[in-house]
Amino acid sequence: MQQFKPVFKTALYNTQVNVVGKHLSGLLIIKTMPDSSTRIVFSNEAGFKFFDFGFTSNDFKVYYVYKEMNKKAVIKTLRKDFQLVLMNRLANAGTYVLKKDSLNYYTFPDGKDHYYYITDSVCKRLLRMERGNESKPVMTAIAEDFKEGMPDTIGITHTNFNFEIGLKRIYHYAER
Amino acid sequence: MRNVVFVLFLLMTACVVKAQYPGYKLISDAADFNTKFAAASQKITTIKSDFVQEKELSLLSEKIVSKGKFWFKRENAVRMEYTQPFQYLMIINGSKIYIKDSQKENKISAKSNKLFEQINKTMMDCVNGSALNNPDFTARVFEAGDTYLAELSPVNKNLKSLFRNINLTVSKKDFSVTKIEMHEPSGDMTTINYINREMNVSLPDALFAIN
Repeated sequence: MQQFKPVFKTALYNTQVNVVGKHLSGLLIIKTMPDSSTRIVFSNEAGFKFFDFGFTSNDFKVYYVYKEMNKKAVIKTLRKDFQLVLMNRLANAGTYVLKKDSLNYYTFPDGKDHYYYITDSVCKRLLRMERGNESKPVMTAIAEDFKEGMPDTIGITHTNFNFEIGLKRIYHYAER
Repeated sequence: MRNVVFVLFLLMTACVVKAQYPGYKLISDAADFNTKFAAASQKITTIKSDFVQEKELSLLSEKIVSKGKFWFKRENAVRMEYTQPFQYLMIINGSKIYIKDSQKENKISAKSNKLFEQINKTMMDCVNGSALNNPDFTARVFEAGDTYLAELSPVNKNLKSLFRNINLTVSKKDFSVTKIEMHEPSGDMTTINYINREMNVSLPDALFAIN
């Protein structure tokens, strides 16, 4: 599974969020810090910051969250969604592989949650990622068109409520 | 002895101020500046400008630079169009806000959202010259060479959670705002530099229309 794990040096994404009928756009930056933790910062185009989260393989930290987003359920959902995409729960114990419809489901339990990485039968391509309980997924994610270890496109779609995040990488953003 | 302490205190304060804004010194007669700034701003009926925005994420040591075009029409209409490295259009007209990103368009009434209303008012005040009289902020004014620097510190809790302070660089020549720096409590900062500015050119109302 490690072969599919993205390596974010620094990547900036044009970001679209649709959540229960509301639409939000902005810029999301993913960066691996010198201490090997991963920071994800989301702000709108004009610079107004929504959140700043830090992820390690066994920890999560909220550096900042905008007051109106500061709700336990919102933060928990975002944390788990990004953990799935960052693939930083791969060291968990109890890992197993399910085979179904000539697909491999690499399964990583994390408490009640299960993180699924679904590949073709020979484990050459990662087709999609899912998160849910043992019986059914609550969200699906894709990461595609990798360049230097970082995906060009990331999509997150929840199946139990209307919530989706779309990320499209911006390549040239730092020069004047 | 008391005098010595007082002088020492003044020196220390002066050093702190110097360190804060190198080259700038605090002006004592801020009221005079306010009057001149407000009077000169009244004479600016329109602004057409390019802008460069830099978002600095201090802890990440990252900078995001974006560019676009800016239009202002007195009393309270602003159009900001980001063209690089993404497309984003924001029009503020009175209490109405229109936003168009790469996928969708959105209309917001600033009145329906207290925070938007405050940000909206703050932004408008920064360009139309009334920022220094806004009771939401306390102001200190510094000067150096051909510019003033107006430092606005928020008073209320809502704005304090968003900004440590907002600094306006004002040209001494025509009292126009050439740069806005928004300092966040986290140490992150957004700077907008206005370049190729044209004042009082005719701007069609259609630029600011929100239908």
